[in-house]
Amino acid sequence: MKALLIDDERLARNELRRLLKAHPEIEIIGEAVDAADALSKVEALKPDLLFLDIQMPGDDGFTLLEKLEPPLPLVIFTTAYDQFAVKAFEFNALDYLLKPVDPHRLTGALEKLRISRAGPAPAAIAPRRLAPEDKVFVREGERCWFVAVKNIRLLESEGNYTRLYFEEQKPQLFRSLTAMEERLDPQHFFRANRKQVINLAWVEGIEPWFSGGLLVKLKGGAKVELSRRQAQDFRERMSL
Amino acid sequence: MAIAQATGEYTNRPRDELAATGASLLRHPMGTFSAFDTAAKLQHTKERLYVLCQLSGWGLFLVIQFSFARAAALVNPPQLGHDQMLEAASMVMVVLLGLVLTHYARPLITRWGWKQLGWRSLSPRIVLMAAILSLLWMAAGFGYSYGVLQLPWAYKSNPAIVVIASWLNGMGLLVGWLCIYFFYHIYEQLQRLQVEQLRLVANIKEAELRALKAQVNPHFLFNSLNSLRALIEEDAPRAREAVTRLASMLRYSLQSGQLETVTLEEELRTVEDYLALEQIRHENRLRVSWQIAAAARTQIVPPMLVQTLVENAVKYGVSIRREGGEVMISAQIEKQSLIISVINPGELTAPSNAASALAGSSTGVGLRNASERLKLLYGDRATLRLFSAPAGCVSAVVSIPLPGSSA
Repeated sequence: MKALLIDDERLARNELRRLLKAHPEIEIIGEAVDAADALSKVEALKPDLLFLDIQMPGDDGFTLLEKLEPPLPLVIFTTAYDQFAVKAFEFNALDYLLKPVDPHRLTGALEKLRISRAGPAPAAIAPRRLAPEDKVFVREGERCWFVAVKNIRLLESEGNYTRLYFEEQKPQLFRSLTAMEERLDPQHFFRANRKQVINLAWVEGIEPWFSGGLLVKLKGGAKVELSRRQAQDFRERMSL
Repeated sequence: MAIAQATGEYTNRPRDELAATGASLLRHPMGTFSAFDTAAKLQHTKERLYVLCQLSGWGLFLVIQFSFARAAALVNPPQLGHDQMLEAASMVMVVLLGLVLTHYARPLITRWGWKQLGWRSLSPRIVLMAAILSLLWMAAGFGYSYGVLQLPWAYKSNPAIVVIASWLNGMGLLVGWLCIYFFYHIYEQLQRLQVEQLRLVANIKEAELRALKAQVNPHFLFNSLNSLRALIEEDAPRAREAVTRLASMLRYSLQSGQLETVTLEEELRTVEDYLALEQIRHENRLRVSWQIAAAARTQIVPPMLVQTLVENAVKYGVSIRREGGEVMISAQIEKQSLIISVINPGELTAPSNAASALAGSSTGVGLRNASERLKLLYGDRATLRLFSAPAGCVSAVVSIPLPGSSA
C-alpha cells in the first residue's frame, strides 16, 4: 500500500518513517510539509493511504481533505493533543493516532484498514466516476464525516458549495454542484433541476405536477420538483 | 424575612464547610492568625458589650426613676410617715429584679432559636414574653413589698388599677428591652453577612487567579515528546538536553500554581527552555532575539506571563506560517514601570484595543487569561496591549508598575 506522510515537522515525519519500518506492506512514496504540498503530491503520486497531521501551517488537515478530489485515499490522522479533532473523530469510524505514536496502536490502525478495505483497492485512475462505495469527506462545525456516495439522497446547490443530505445530516461540501455532478455516476444520480441532484436509489414516489412536470418524493421526506423537460428525461431513464 | 432566613442558613452550615473557611484563612498569605482565636475574641467582646449595656441601661432607668420621684416630692410633698429610704430601696430592688429577669430571658431566647426568626413571627413572641416577664416582675415586687414586708399600701388608687397599670408599664419597658436586643442581633447578622460576602468574593478571586495561571500547553507538550522520540535516534546528546529542558519547564509550570510572583530572570529561564524545545520542532523556521535590560531582570512578574506571550507569538508568528518567523523579546524599565514586549510576524485582524482584540477567538484564551490575571493582581495599573507593529509584525506589550510606584 502506497502511503504519503503529511506533517510540518521533519522529526515527526522521521519518527513515523521509523515506526512504519515494522510494516513492510506500507510503502512510503513521499512526504509533504503542509496542505498545499500535500495537495499536489496526492495528485501526482496517487497514494492509497495518508498519514495526516491536523495542525499545519496554512490549511489544516481537514481543509486538505475537503480540497482533495474524491475518491479519497484512506486516511489515518496523527495529532499531538487536539480535543477538537478527537471530538470530530468520535462521530466517525475515522482512525487517528496520538503523538508520540504507540507502535501497538499503529499496528491496530493498519489492521483496521485491512479489514475495512474488503473490496479491491480504489483504482487510482482519476478522474473517474465515483462508485457507490466511494467516500467523500464533509465537515461542518465540529463534526466531520466520510460519507459513502450511495448514502447521499440529495445534493443541493448553494453557490459554490453543495449541501449533502444523508442520514439525519445535511452538511455543506466544499465543491460546486456542477463539479460534483461530473463525478457522480449518471446510473445512480439524476439532475432534477438547476439546483438539485437526486439519488435514484432513494426515490420513494412520483406524482404528476404542474404543466407536465413531476414531483419526486425521496425516502427521508424530501420533495423535489422536476420541470417538464427534466420530467421527460426522468421518465426515459426510469423506464429503461 | 429574607435576611434572617439567610442568616439562619449561615448558622446551620455544616461543620466541615466552616472548617474549610478556617483553613483557607490559614493559607492566606496575609494572615497567620487562626479563625477560631478570632471567633473567641469576638465572643468575649460581645459579652463585655452585653454587660455594659445591661448595667448602663438599667442604671439610667434607676436615675430617671429617682429624678421623677424627687420631682414628684417637690410638687406634692409626701404625706407624713412616708419613708424616703424605703422608697429608694424598693426602687433599687425593682430595677435589680428587671436586670435579673432580662438576664435570664437571654439564654431562653437563644435556646428557642428566636434570633433566627423574622420580625413577623418575632413580634408576638416579644409581646408575650414581655407580658409574662412583667407579670413575674410585678408579682415579685408587690409580693415582697406588701406580702413579705407587710408595708402599708402607698397608693391612693384602687389596687387592681395599680396592678394593671404597673403590669402594662413593665411590659412596655420589657418590649423596649427586647427590641433593642433583637435590633442589635439583626445588625450584627447583617454585618456578618457582609463580611461573609466579602470573604466569598475574595475566595472567588483567589480561585479565578489559580485557574487563570497558565499551564504548559498540552499540544506543545505532546508534540515535543514526539520530536524527542525521533531525536533520540538522530542526536542523542541533544535529546538528553531537551529532556532536561522539558523537565525544568514542567517543574516551573507546576510550581507556578503556588507562586504569586517570580523575578523576570526566573521567568525568562523557562521561556528559554520553551523556545529551545520549539526550535527542535520547528528547526530553522523559528528564530529568536532577546533584548533584556539588566535592571529589568530583577523585577517581579506574575509567573507564566511572559511565557504565555511567547507561546502566543510562536503559535501565530511561526507555527501557522509556512516560512516561519522571528520572535523578539525585550524588557526594560520606563517611567516606574516594567515594560515587556514580544513581537512576532503576522497581522492583527482585530482592533488595536486589547480588550476587544482579546475577546476575539483568533487571539485565543491565553492572552485573555493573562490580561485578566494582570487585572486581578494590579487592577488598572497594569496593562496588556496588542499593537500592529511596522513591517508586518504584531507586538504584545505588558506594562507592570514597579513596587512602590503609584503609576
